[in-house]
Formats: sequence, structure tokens, C-alpha cells
Amino acid sequence: MSKPTLRICYLYPDLLNLYGDRGNILCMRRRLEWRGLAAEITEAPAGSKANFADCDLIFIGGGQDFEQEVLLSDLKAGKGGELKAAIQDGKTVLAICGGYQMLGAYYQTWDGLRCDFIGAVDFYTVGSKERMIGNFAFECLPESGGSTVVGFENHSGKTYLGPGVSPLGRVLAGGGNNGEDGFEGVRYRNVFGTYSHGPILPKNPQLCDFILQTALGERYPELTLQPLDDAAETAAHDAMAKRLLG
Amino acid sequence: MKIKVFFSILCCKLTRSILRLLGRGGTAFPGRVALKLCPDVLGTLSNGVRTILITGTNGKTTSARMIEQAFLDENLSYLANKSGANLISGITAEFAMHSTLSGKPKCQYAVIECDEAASKTVLKYLKPEIIVATNVFRDQLDRYGEITHTLNNIIEGVRGTPESLLCLNADCSLIASIPDEVPNPVVRFGVDVPLEPGDTAELSDAPHCIRCKTEYVYDYRTYGHLGGFRCPKCGYRREAPQYTVTAVRALDADSSDITMTIGGERVELHINLPAVYNIYNAAGAAAALSSFGFSTDVIARALASFDCGFGRMEKFDLEGTPGRMMLVKNPAGCNQVMRYLSGLTEDAVFAVCLNDRDADGTDISWIWDADFERLCTMGDRLKQILVSGVRADELRLRLKYAGLDESRVQVFYDYGALIDAMCQSEHPVFIMPTYTAMLDLRARLQKRLGGKEFWE
Repeated sequence: MSKPTLRICYLYPDLLNLYGDRGNILCMRRRLEWRGLAAEITEAPAGSKANFADCDLIFIGGGQDFEQEVLLSDLKAGKGGELKAAIQDGKTVLAICGGYQMLGAYYQTWDGLRCDFIGAVDFYTVGSKERMIGNFAFECLPESGGSTVVGFENHSGKTYLGPGVSPLGRVLAGGGNNGEDGFEGVRYRNVFGTYSHGPILPKNPQLCDFILQTALGERYPELTLQPLDDAAETAAHDAMAKRLLG
Repeated sequence: MKIKVFFSILCCKLTRSILRLLGRGGTAFPGRVALKLCPDVLGTLSNGVRTILITGTNGKTTSARMIEQAFLDENLSYLANKSGANLISGITAEFAMHSTLSGKPKCQYAVIECDEAASKTVLKYLKPEIIVATNVFRDQLDRYGEITHTLNNIIEGVRGTPESLLCLNADCSLIASIPDEVPNPVVRFGVDVPLEPGDTAELSDAPHCIRCKTEYVYDYRTYGHLGGFRCPKCGYRREAPQYTVTAVRALDADSSDITMTIGGERVELHINLPAVYNIYNAAGAAAALSSFGFSTDVIARALASFDCGFGRMEKFDLEGTPGRMMLVKNPAGCNQVMRYLSGLTEDAVFAVCLNDRDADGTDISWIWDADFERLCTMGDRLKQILVSGVRADELRLRLKYAGLDESRVQVFYDYGALIDAMCQSEHPVFIMPTYTAMLDLRARLQKRLGGKEFWE
């Protein structure tokens, strides 16, 4: 029997790859391999056909505005609807920054221009003139594992969650979704959305494992991830947590 | 008005003298004083000075050094902002230090490197004869936002000086698009041949057409997004450069040999620095110098003999251990340095120092986009990696995920201990610091080993 394999779909690696997002993919792959499991990574760039039904986890990174038109027209051409359906089916999704915003209803620029997104998760984003930039920290809600996460945020959009979804966590330092309500990210079914790049997973191994476990659970309900030696991960996490939280 | 200029220059000179007396190398602060007193003083100070200005993400300092060498060899009186004070304050200070109190320039020529974001302000006042644009790569996105934003800053600057001759990297699809936006005369430089075939692991910082956003097709690549690009949809493509590298004859650990076409003439050149990215710097410098009126003999001599900029392949004697320092600041530059290192044939020790202060960029996520995996290909030749700097822990983590053997990675939270380890190394040490880490390390190395002050 071949070893258990997590099938990861990396959506738009050509458009959404600005802030070390390769590191998230690398992190998931290594943490599976170190446990004797395997990762199979399929890239789904713009213009290609994605087959979300055949994967266990969809990863979407952050990008820049320059390529947004390409992205939106590709979503409209079919991937948007398929992604929405996959999310309804309970597919595990990790979406960062621009990829996170894309899952919501729309983005409205500060001067009133509205750009519709796929509306898979109940939230919307409004542009503001000042950006939230810097290292930040949040604590995941218990339903998302409860770990403390450190990362880097860089966004001018302020995200407001609808009533049917919960945040990924509570902000401990920094801006988070909108700099106002004290929440960061979104959790809806098996969707994990966050503004944290950095990349988020390598120095937050507990969150990484929580997401991996969620994604593996669909096909391998008996499988439990074994602990790893996380000395280097913990050192990087704690150094930033100490700087931000004292 | 004249009185304002006089006081502005006087105060600039005075603050610089006082800083020097205090043993400080401040190059930007005196300029800020001058600008406070007379915001357009740079216009007066640079009036009549024939200037070559170099801007772009990577290669500014090295290109400037190459160009400067020709002025030096020809005994021309020139000024240059050597120490990397490349914002309007530092540039103003440099001109003020080389002028009379009434603002009359003492030098006939200037070689100025200019931060790409600062170019829109600097070029309001300074009207160079030639502007060299090296490349645009993603760099410090926490400060500059998008990569196209950086390009737009350069374009906005150039709009302020429509008569300057643009000397553009034909192989960078971003830089090559500048003539779409401005009326300036243009010459182009580039590399006609792939510099390392089959290397596609590196991320491209500009995969999509600047005009129509279709994905580019490449006839060949040199590195990063540089090479023979063309857009299959709108037809935007690399234009054949007048100044072009037609062959790379040797890529050694300490230097390179290339063949270039300069104004129709075939020239064999020796570049006094290794690594493929310096071939671009040499091509840009040759194009600028030739356009300025220097002969190919002078150009060849300058490229073969120039002194490298501080922290740019700079050599140190670490109490008997040979050391070399190579500034890293973004994925494209870091990939180039690692490409050079992984091509070394001797055993080596690396020291990598990662800071996240403002001048380094506070967002260090770029280390995950840089191809540290390449170091694994060195196998046993890479004896040890010493990791240091404010974000040493994150760097250690990056190396772990790159697949490097953790037992060869050692973390130093203290530069004193790091320098001890470097000096005790039995193998040559290659130091890769980010900008502020380089300043810290150089200051400490200089204190311990002796050497030049960086502002000299």
C-alpha cells in the first residue's frame, strides 16, 4: 500500500506568489514528509483547468493589484464557481491576504469602485487610504486550534465578517481584519482565511498541523499527525511573539 | 534667494565637519539641513555639472563604481556619492561638499547612484546627461508596495528631465517599457546569450506583459525575469541593444571575461568582479561611458581595474582567513549570490545575517522566495553556515526547510562571537548580510581588523 498522501492544489502560483507563499507549500510538504507521509502538489495557474474534486487542500496566496484583472477574468471563466462549490462541500482551503479577500463578496475601493469577488464566504472588504503594515500576532479561536500565531500583515483593505462566519482568531498585536473589531481572518467550514503572510505556516507549526489534520481527515479519518521536533520553529515563533507581546 | 543658497550650503558643510570631528560618518543629515533651508538647492548645486545617474533595484553601487573608475583613470574632476547615501539628502550633501559657498560647482562631472523611489524627487532638481536604469526587481514591498510602483517612480522622475539620455537594460521587460511613457532619447544594453541555461527554478518577478498582461514567452533567459522576452499577444518584446554582451568566455571565482559589441565594435572585456549579475552591471557601465564619450580602451581599463563598492564582493582578511562580503537585499539579488556561491569549487563557510530594520525592509518573507535550496547542491563543500542578525531564528528555520543539515547551521545572537567564529574558520568565509547588518558588521570588522571608514 502506498503511503498516505495529501493532495494540495496551489491555485494561481503564477499570480499570487508575492510574499513568500512558496514557504507555505514547502512547509506543508516537509511536515508531511518528516512523518513518513507524502504531499502531491498540483499547480493551477490562470488559464488552466483546476480539478478541485481531486484534491484535499486548496492553497491561495497573496498578490499584487497589477495582475488582478487576469485573476478576476480567470475566476469568472469558471474557477470561481468551482471553488465556491468546493468550499460548500467542505474542502479545506488556506487563503492568504489577496487570496483571502477573493473568497468574500466584494472589494470596494476607498473612492467607491466596487469589484465583485466569488462570494464563497460571507464577508466583504473596503479599501482605506492607510495600510496596515507590520509584524502582528493573533490567537486562534478554539475551533481553529487555539494556538498563538505570529506573522506579517500588509493590506489597505479592511475586511468585515458577516453573521454566518467566525474569525480565525483574536488580534493580540497589530491590525487584523480591519483594525477596529479586534478580529483576524475568517473560519468558515474548512476555510482558513488570514491576512498573515510571512509566510504564516513555518513559524506557526501548530496552526500548520491543525490545517493538515483537517485536510487529511476527509480521506484518512484514522490518521493522527505525530509530533515533530519543532525547536527551530518554536525559536522563530517565540522570538517574534516576545518582540510583539513582551 | 542667493542668501538662502549660501546659508543652506554653509550649514551643510558645517554640520558635516562637526559630524566628522565627532568621528561620525553622517552623509544624509547635512543634506537634510541644506534642504530644510533651501528645498531646491540641489538644482543650483548641480547646474553645469555633467552627471551620470544610476538607478534601479539591483546593481546601482557596482555600476557607479565601474563608471567612476573611468573618470578616475582620465584624471577628471568628479564627485560621487560612494557610501550609498542615495536619497535626495545624501545626494544634495555630496554636491554641497563639492561647491563654493555661493553654490558654484567645483567639479565638472558627477557619478550619482539614486534610490529608485527617490528618483522622482531627485530628478526634479538634478538634470543628468545620462540616466542608467539597471533593472526592477521586487524589493522591500513593505515600503514600495508593488513592483510596478517602483517602475512608476522611475518614470515619474524621468518625466522631470526629458533631455537626459536613457541608458536602459533591454532585457528587463519593466525597464524596457520606460520609452512608452517618456520622450527621452534612448540607448539600450543587454546580454544576447543565456547566462545559465535551463534554470527555471527561480521565481520571475514580472511574468506578465506590462502592456497587456499576457504571459511572456522567452527565447532565452539570463536570470530572474531578464532575458529575451516577448509577448505573444500584443507584440511587446525585447529590442536589440546597441551595447550587448555576445559571449561569456569565462566565469571565474574572482572575475569574468566577456565579449561585447560597443557601437558596432567587438571588444573583449575583463570584469574585475565575479558572478553573472555583474556582467549586466558592466554592460550598463560600458553603455553609459561610451555614450558619454569615453573610448573603448578607457572602458576596458575601468572594468578590469575598478574597486568594488563596500559590501559588494568586498574582500576581507579575517586574521588569515579570506573573507568576502556580498550584500543581499531581495530574492533576485540573493539568488544571484547563491548561484555564484554554489558554483565555487573550493570548500567554504557561509555567514548569513538577516536584519529587519527600516533600511533592510521590515518584511522578511522574501527569504522564502529566495532559492536557498540551491545551497544543498553544494553537498560537503559547504562546511558550515553561521546565522546571525535580528531575525537569525527565522533564517535558521528557512535553512531547515530548504533541506540543509541542521547540524551544520549555527546561530549567533552576538556579532562578537560571530566574528570570532569567522576568524577561526579553516575555510574561506562568504558573508551575506542585509543592509543594516552589513553596516554593523563592517564597523565591527573594521574596529577589530583595521581598514577604511565606509564614508571615505
